[in-house]
Amino acid sequence: MRRVAIIGYAVSRLEWDAEKTREEAVFEVAKGAMRNAGVEREDIDTVISASTDFLDGRTISSCMLIGASGAYLKDESKAEEDGMYAALYAAQRIMSGVHDVALAVSHTHSWIFNPHQVTQYMLEPWFDRQNDLLNEITLAALQARLYMSRSGADETHLAQVCVKNLRNAVKNPNAFRKMPDVTVEEVLESKLYSSPLTELMISPPCDGAAAVVLASEDVAEEFCDEPVWIRGIGNACDRYLRDRDLGRLNSLRIAAERAYRTAGIEDPFRQIDVAEVSERFAHQELMAYEALCFCREGMGKVLIEEGMTEVYGDMPVNPSGGALAGDAVCATGMIRLIEAVKQIRGEAENQVEECRTALAHAQWGLCAQKNLVFILGDRR
Amino acid sequence: MRRVAIIGCGQSKHGRRTDVNQAELVAEAVWAAIEDANIGVEDIEAYAVGNMQGFGGICQPDLVFADYIAAGGKPMQRVATGGTVGGSTAHLGYYEVASGMYDVVLAVSWEKHSDSAEPGATTGLLHVAFANLSYMMKIGMDMRSFAIMGLAGAAAGISAYQAAFYMARSGCRIEHFDMVAAKARRNAAKNRYAHLKWPGCTAEDIAKTEMLIWPLRFGHVCPASDGASCVIYASEDAVRRLGIKEVAWVKGVAAYADEEADQGESYQGTAVVDYSDQTGAILSARKAYRRAGIKDPRKEIDVAEIYAPFPHQELMFSERLGFFDDGTAWKALEEGVTEIDGDFPICPSGGVNATNAIGSSGMQRVVEAALQIMGKAEDHQVPKDVKNAVAHAWGGQVQFNTVMVLGDRPKGW
Amino acid sequence: MGVDRYSGLPFVARFRWSVGKIMEKFYRSFAEKKIIAAKCEKCGYTVVPPRQICPQCYSRMGEENFVELSGRGVVESLTEVAFRLDGKGGYIWLEKPELLAAVKLEGANSTIFVRVEGDARIGSEVEPVWAEKTEGKPSDLISFRVVK
Repeated sequence: MRRVAIIGYAVSRLEWDAEKTREEAVFEVAKGAMRNAGVEREDIDTVISASTDFLDGRTISSCMLIGASGAYLKDESKAEEDGMYAALYAAQRIMSGVHDVALAVSHTHSWIFNPHQVTQYMLEPWFDRQNDLLNEITLAALQARLYMSRSGADETHLAQVCVKNLRNAVKNPNAFRKMPDVTVEEVLESKLYSSPLTELMISPPCDGAAAVVLASEDVAEEFCDEPVWIRGIGNACDRYLRDRDLGRLNSLRIAAERAYRTAGIEDPFRQIDVAEVSERFAHQELMAYEALCFCREGMGKVLIEEGMTEVYGDMPVNPSGGALAGDAVCATGMIRLIEAVKQIRGEAENQVEECRTALAHAQWGLCAQKNLVFILGDRR
Repeated sequence: MRRVAIIGCGQSKHGRRTDVNQAELVAEAVWAAIEDANIGVEDIEAYAVGNMQGFGGICQPDLVFADYIAAGGKPMQRVATGGTVGGSTAHLGYYEVASGMYDVVLAVSWEKHSDSAEPGATTGLLHVAFANLSYMMKIGMDMRSFAIMGLAGAAAGISAYQAAFYMARSGCRIEHFDMVAAKARRNAAKNRYAHLKWPGCTAEDIAKTEMLIWPLRFGHVCPASDGASCVIYASEDAVRRLGIKEVAWVKGVAAYADEEADQGESYQGTAVVDYSDQTGAILSARKAYRRAGIKDPRKEIDVAEIYAPFPHQELMFSERLGFFDDGTAWKALEEGVTEIDGDFPICPSGGVNATNAIGSSGMQRVVEAALQIMGKAEDHQVPKDVKNAVAHAWGGQVQFNTVMVLGDRPKGW
Repeated sequence: MGVDRYSGLPFVARFRWSVGKIMEKFYRSFAEKKIIAAKCEKCGYTVVPPRQICPQCYSRMGEENFVELSGRGVVESLTEVAFRLDGKGGYIWLEKPELLAAVKLEGANSTIFVRVEGDARIGSEVEPVWAEKTEGKPSDLISFRVVK
């Protein structure tokens, strides 16, 4: 398979009500990523954007972003899910040999329509939507309780994930929620939405945009001295809510396995230097530790207790702060990808030492029904 | 470059399908395609899905019915690009296999308009009109006038404007639109999946219908159908491994986007004033032909499925896609060239004018083109040797275009 | 710089979803206070609400696969919900938290998400609470309660 590298990126600040139009936000990151990659619009063969019409409050949302995303009179398409899926599609277009350089851009302005409301429309209309108590948060709470009852993890472990990520975010100039002195007690005592999930355990929806430029192995080095290579990709979707095991991220396990196989990773804990995961809710990071095979099933709580996933730990996870520090919904996964790219390039604020292999993860759907994993490296 | 073929096609019955829910509708097309390809569920490695979800009222519907289409545990990717979503999903499926990541990919797109509670199944269209024309308020229009304009306009309004432009530049007349609409309904009568069937329909029959919004008559307008269309792609190796005999090879794809057509005003500052220009279609066609090794589309393409919910679009796009010179498509129509048994048949299936499940119709063009190549189009099979076919879709604010060239042999055979 | 904002469209565009023949039967049987599931002949997976394709092995199912469940189930997971969404993106904070549970119905493999009344724990046995007059509509099944 033809190899693909990421040669440039740009991220906007994550804010609430960014006082920008969607077009301005996309334009900024598209231009920023091209500049970072050292490419001109003429060099780009194809553009893939990512957003969802429900979140954008308009149908065919991408139709007005053609100019702003640099896609004018170019081969383009739009992924309707997390931005990392746009990067995936862009990579596939390059791998096919039909295109050489691609731009992938994603955005969400959460203040337009609360994502927690939008995700309620992900419920099956003819049965689950009849229950007005069901929404993204209450379902995640059920998932958390299920996971906790099986693994023996408790609220404190969830809070420890928050403390780690919110403190990590302090150094990240783009992050939305930074709390340098946050404690476990503060997390546990923040507003309760649906037990055990309190406000700080829920990723805060905000506005943001991000873009990456990808290039094939034939041209990557023309533009970029240090391309970051995609060494493996894994993608999987679980069954719908009622007929899947909510207490396990099965599709993440499958996706990780596929990505590891392509990347030649047999011992993830040792071979991966840093991981950026999309933890929409604190317990999902613990579940991710297990699904990604950083530890055995049920042992996620040990990793967080022992500080192994801190920046200075053996298996740093979310040194950028993750989604708990700012969730621009469709941009979230792409931002995780960009943070992983920064780690490999040595440009991250919370830089992990000697980072040569990184993992980036995105999720989509209620209770992380879909999961996508990229393995990045500094060599082909 | 990897060679990719279509090994199976499936369609649900199109029409007003209140007998099924959205999941069952999609499953109908998916299982029909699996049966057509004669493969097992375990052979499908990944999925490409798409629809216009504002029309169905479910955010990420594919996640709701992943299990109905055997996608549990498998990779799935979703696109949404408005009216072209069927074409975009078809392209996504192609790229998934062409990338080398998967050998067999199932691509399905659909629309269920009847889930709308508003008259004329317009819930989705109302969303389109309001959301995308909201900039009107910036230039001083008040909410009430906006509501009236939006309800009356939407897709019909833009298309009427486009038709008027096209008439001016090509010299065609409304009678030609009547002829195209009649041909669509006659062809649809031969297609068991089509919605509006009218065997023996003539241009005079259409001309008798009321003028809706000049120059479009009531008889020109497409129905709002429910339906799903599905194709299964396989790499060359997989075709051999699975022992599939009848396939249609994907020879070239391209999907160039233009800026949106907004009555001369857009967010970019520049403007598309003439909607019949369709630069995006011209570029997409050119690129797709180059990739497919086609030098003279008029001679080398044998049949075309053009996305034409309104009849003038069949004439307009047949010129943009290089089948007829500018301003001559109506002459070819008069001479019967584009009839099902003509020299260059266009939309032998009846096309979008006879069946329009918006999310599905772009993919349905790919399905119909593939069926023509494989000789499986039953009663609406064109009576000539089909070596190459083109499937086209447009969408967005008349700015997106997807073109796929299919052939009975892979490129460079 | 600032952006112009507009809100309050002068209409509401609504949906009315077709549920399909199988779901129709499922809701009709609420009139008799019955909960119907579909049991797959091939692999035995029992899905509720019933549907035409088995989620596990993808075999076709129809009314001939219908089975009536006892209605009882076990609480697999539980949460105290402190809010509801108002449909416009706002949160309505409840005066008293409501209990939401993931319930595995006896005889079925699917999990359903329902309101629960009473002192429920993970592992509690629950039974359906029906409306006084059941008409074959979703609102017939009000909630579940802990079995004494």
